[in-house]
Amino acid sequence: MVKIDDLLRIGDFKFTSRLFIGTGKYANFEIMKMAHEASGAEVVTVAIRRVDLNDKGKESMLSYIDTNKITILPNTAGCFTAEEAIRTARLAKAAGLPNWIKLEVIGDQKTLMPDNEETLKATKVLVKEGFTVLAYTNDDIVYAKKFEEAGAASVMPLGAPIGSGQGILNPNNIKIILENAKVPIIVDAGVGTASDATIAMELGADGVLLNTGVALAKDPVRMARAMKLAVESGRDAFLAGRIPKKLYASASSPIEGVMR
Amino acid sequence: MKLTINGEKKELNCNKVSDLLNALNLEKNIVAVELNKNIVHRENFEKTKLKDNDKLEIVKAVGGG
Repeated sequence: MVKIDDLLRIGDFKFTSRLFIGTGKYANFEIMKMAHEASGAEVVTVAIRRVDLNDKGKESMLSYIDTNKITILPNTAGCFTAEEAIRTARLAKAAGLPNWIKLEVIGDQKTLMPDNEETLKATKVLVKEGFTVLAYTNDDIVYAKKFEEAGAASVMPLGAPIGSGQGILNPNNIKIILENAKVPIIVDAGVGTASDATIAMELGADGVLLNTGVALAKDPVRMARAMKLAVESGRDAFLAGRIPKKLYASASSPIEGVMR
Repeated sequence: MKLTINGEKKELNCNKVSDLLNALNLEKNIVAVELNKNIVHRENFEKTKLKDNDKLEIVKAVGGG
């Protein structure tokens, strides 16, 4: 092993695990907590929403997140304009959450594809305000560069539409982003099963963020463990350096000394 | 006093943001409050006064990806 210290650094944040996991869509908080533990994730995402004034008995999800081990990453999901996303980020900070944001501005209801123009506007404002911005975007090199130039601490290209579980639809686009990136690239969205996470990491992604793939699996806790191993395997395979693909066979056993 | 909280009209006798959070049985350390589109920081909950027809948004972290 050449590199023992393989920390993921995003702004001032440092992590050993390269798997970021969501808190949405779990059957209950108990299962979510067990899945988080099995995933080994040190970052979990949350959304910001109105409190339900008519449901006072409701327990807080936050009590199921061990903040000694886990850093909470608020998102701006549900925002359709830069203005809404900026407001959400500020509210997340005011709610006592860490000073970083998964910036997500959606441009199309059905596909949940990002509105990069709005996301970029919000990035510029929030970076100025001192937020560590992780920008959710398409698998597009041009915008990846723009987010980097605007001061995003990480760019998060999608593997496939949010919650679709389609895997990494365009590995070449992810690879192109990775080859040109100066900030960590986290593949976010589309990861449906363990091999999808491994493919992202083998391409050289710095991390993977997923939610639905674990939360809606038949056994979320087992899938969380599968994702942990998948991300670690993919990272190791990337660092180890794969062999080039060849058209023809190449014997693994010596040609010489075969009994005749 | 008439207040609009998270889009709902409420009639409550709360003079300060902190009183309102108590009345609604909300934990101060996990919510964020906007009063007429301006964030009220936690340290100002005690001293921020409410008046008739104020509009408030009270939010917190929920499950998301």
